[in-house]
Amino acid sequence: MHNRTIQIQLGVGALLASGFLLLVAIPSWVSSPSNVPNIILSPLFWPNTLAGLTGLVGLGLLLTSIRSPKPLEQAPSDVDNRAAAYVRLFAMAVIMGLTMFALPRLGMVWTSMLAFASVAFLIRTSHPVAALISAVVMPLVLYIFFAHVAGVAIPQGVFVRLS
Amino acid sequence: MKKLKLAMLGAAVLGFTATTALADDYPQRPINMVIPYGAGGATDISARTIAEPLGNAVGKPLIMANVTGAGGATGSVAVQNAKGDGYTMLFARVGSHSVNPAMKATLPYTLDDFRFVTVYEINPVACAVRVDSGIDSMEDLVAKVNEGGVSYSSSGVGSLLHLAAVMVLKEFGVENPLEKATHIPQKGGGAAATAVLNGTAAFLCTNSSALASFVSNGQLKPILVTTAEPVAGFDAPTAADLGKPALHQLVGWTGIAGPDDLPDEVAKKWGDWMATATQDEKFRSTMEARGSIIELMNPEDANVFIQGQYNTFRKLVDELGMRIEG
Amino acid sequence: MSFVDSLLAGLSLVGNFESFLALAIGVAIGVIGGAIPGLSATMAVALTLPFTFTMQPITGILLLLGVYKGGIFGGSIPAILIKTPGTPASSATVLDGYPLAEKGQAGKALGMALWASCTADVISNLSLILFAGWLASFALSFGPPEFFTLILFSLTIIAGVSGESLLRGALSAMLGLLLATIGLDLVYGTNRFTFGDPNMMGGLNFIAVLIGLFAIPEILAMVWNPRSHEGTTRIIGKNWVTFSEYKKSFKSIVRGSFIGVFLGSIPGIGAAPSAFLSYSEARRTSKNKENFGKGEIEGVAAAEAGNNGVAGATLIPLLALGVPGDVITAIIIGAFMIHGLQPGPMMFVLNVDIIYGLFIGLIVSSVFLFLLGSVAIRGFKYVADIPRGVLFPAVLILCVYGVFAVNNNIFDVGVMFAMGWVGFAMLRYRIPAAPFLIAFILGPLLEDNFRQAMLMSGSSPAILFRGPITWFFWAVTAITVVAIVHTGIRATRKGLDQHKENEE
Repeated sequence: MHNRTIQIQLGVGALLASGFLLLVAIPSWVSSPSNVPNIILSPLFWPNTLAGLTGLVGLGLLLTSIRSPKPLEQAPSDVDNRAAAYVRLFAMAVIMGLTMFALPRLGMVWTSMLAFASVAFLIRTSHPVAALISAVVMPLVLYIFFAHVAGVAIPQGVFVRLS
Repeated sequence: MKKLKLAMLGAAVLGFTATTALADDYPQRPINMVIPYGAGGATDISARTIAEPLGNAVGKPLIMANVTGAGGATGSVAVQNAKGDGYTMLFARVGSHSVNPAMKATLPYTLDDFRFVTVYEINPVACAVRVDSGIDSMEDLVAKVNEGGVSYSSSGVGSLLHLAAVMVLKEFGVENPLEKATHIPQKGGGAAATAVLNGTAAFLCTNSSALASFVSNGQLKPILVTTAEPVAGFDAPTAADLGKPALHQLVGWTGIAGPDDLPDEVAKKWGDWMATATQDEKFRSTMEARGSIIELMNPEDANVFIQGQYNTFRKLVDELGMRIEG
Repeated sequence: MSFVDSLLAGLSLVGNFESFLALAIGVAIGVIGGAIPGLSATMAVALTLPFTFTMQPITGILLLLGVYKGGIFGGSIPAILIKTPGTPASSATVLDGYPLAEKGQAGKALGMALWASCTADVISNLSLILFAGWLASFALSFGPPEFFTLILFSLTIIAGVSGESLLRGALSAMLGLLLATIGLDLVYGTNRFTFGDPNMMGGLNFIAVLIGLFAIPEILAMVWNPRSHEGTTRIIGKNWVTFSEYKKSFKSIVRGSFIGVFLGSIPGIGAAPSAFLSYSEARRTSKNKENFGKGEIEGVAAAEAGNNGVAGATLIPLLALGVPGDVITAIIIGAFMIHGLQPGPMMFVLNVDIIYGLFIGLIVSSVFLFLLGSVAIRGFKYVADIPRGVLFPAVLILCVYGVFAVNNNIFDVGVMFAMGWVGFAMLRYRIPAAPFLIAFILGPLLEDNFRQAMLMSGSSPAILFRGPITWFFWAVTAITVVAIVHTGIRATRKGLDQHKENEE
């Protein structure tokens, strides 16, 4: 992406975020007691200040983007196939979501093995055998270290527990 | 299916056991003990001191896990939501289980969500001022408060320190302590003591163990202890000396609790284990050296004690309109 | 007792095999713990604490101090090798350490990190021994108004780590400040953006945010373009840091050490801001300004000097006042108390042998750090040679375990993942991550101290100008802001002129 496009998108984004915070998010999700003696002591004061400043930064980004010159040619893409890249990113998001779901149910060790293997597959690892072996060994080694040396209560899950 | 094979091999090497939740052969595996406050704090040290004799009594390892945040609420919720099988227990503390429920309407748990199996330690509360503050007694302090401009520090809103200062002032006849004195909350008990040391606040009321080093170093001067008996090293009148027996309720404590569906047999076992563990000579001497009073309560007594303290605090909070609703 | 007597008494306490063994083991545990992302120096100290209960007081405390010092250095190892700060204090080391590793100079970066760390360690220890009393009384004159102005000044560091665009750096900082507001309000205890979730009430876990912001985006970038790293097999490089490079960075190292000593002696700031401040000062005064952030060895030196300079100095408020300066010393104070020792001015009278024993132990610990650090580098540097298709999933799993262990909470793993996406978006939009982090650390401190000051004064802003310390920080803040605006305008003009020339 070109500098100018970035600045414009960020500027618009910051302005939108600022507006959203000031009008929706802060009034509904930041609570303040009714008997605050002074506005600057209110829990709302700091978030509102920050939201306002974010708006100012957004304006600044827009202004500098207007003053900076237009790009002459299309920026070259950094990946061969954008659609495939987005699919991979989406798959990664799914892996993360499943990991969060599985951690308390399967336990950290088994979940980590699956996550390791699927991520290695997703990034098309050049060493599939080494990756698979590490996928099994590493979570176990980490488990032994954290549970038995450091004394951390690693989540065990409901199916198969390790001692 | 190389992966699966390897996984099974790994599991076989480590050895695994199936999960059963029968109460009569409890405990079959290590027990997770959640400490809802940070390492090195009063609760943490207390928990880790009892861990050794208690682990011997239990016969299975105890896994200590600090889960900190939101004045003890994060760790407490972790136990509230755990299965009531006795394998996840909580080191409950005065802040998380009597002051917080009394002060915070937004707290995600109530006392009824827990089943207390014991309270084993009582910590006297002391109030202290800076040595060169010109305040020598509660009388001086109250006079100054009535003049205005006096502030007190705490480890945060809804902490024992916050409530203690208000309760003490109220007992000593300050009509509306919320308006007469300014609360300057800090992040943590260490910062609260520092705030009095560097003059940010005029006084604080907290567990005597947190003040002991400052008192013996001549940096802070105690002006009150809330117990009936004097506290070693604290050259200050007791609440009984000053004729304020209501303040005896204002003490810190540490106990152990499980989720509310903890079976009776499990609770009973904990009662027995604690009876054994608190007899340990080393445990007693370590705790007493830190100014704690070892007082073992069985599950019933513990519940009565905590409910009583909660009701006292709740009454004060409602009377003064201190409850946090938002 | 005279000085010599005290020294001899201290020597008799530590002059035995156990003490030195405890120190060495401590440093080793620290380096390894620090090198595991998520485990961090704080965790390593917390995990070691229970083992000290049964030891002699001096042995136990030396063990913990060894872990502390080792941990702060150890954090730089993953910061350089896998762009994941092992401990928050080593975040600034990432800025130039990782680019150096990308260039195949990981060995050099690690070597410089060690040398800078040890130098700063020595300076910090000497400052503790020589100026403890004086610095401690100075630290006590820091109330909320002084803190507020100090932190306001520290926020100007953001300009130094913003990279190509100051505005994007500012945006990054705003994001950090906003995310730091999540949690319970300090003064009223009300909810801010917690959505009723008890896990959010404590605020977002700092280590989860940190790792999410640095390590996960690298993995996502690899997912985005798995082939981008092909053909760039990194070699660790045999090149070790040379003495002439050390000499060239020496000024930055000494400056960083004293920044560390100053910030360390004031309770409540910690090592991460010190590392960033030292880094930005080194960049500001360097002739190679342009090269900072792209693999400048002096940047690594400055960052590591800044964070290790704090390590000895945080003991100043601890020993002289009994006040913990950061999370780690708060844990160490627990070790004092368990042995019935009460840190504070009286300790210099009652337990002077322990004080001097600690001083001697600290001096020795720098030597151990150097020796064990060299060994650790030789062991760990092969991490850079692991093929990325294996290394990256491994880093992910390591982060999951580490972040969980910080607070025994699965929610934090989710925070790390979510921050990973934020970090990836920032990477794509070329928003620097360092300002986010500084703002995330300093933002709550700024707000809290501001409101505490307002509570003290009954909402009168005059308290923010109450003494020489506040005046000093207001003045340096004003000077820095003017300088930033000045350079900012000049840079924009230069950029525009260049574009015009290109078009013509």
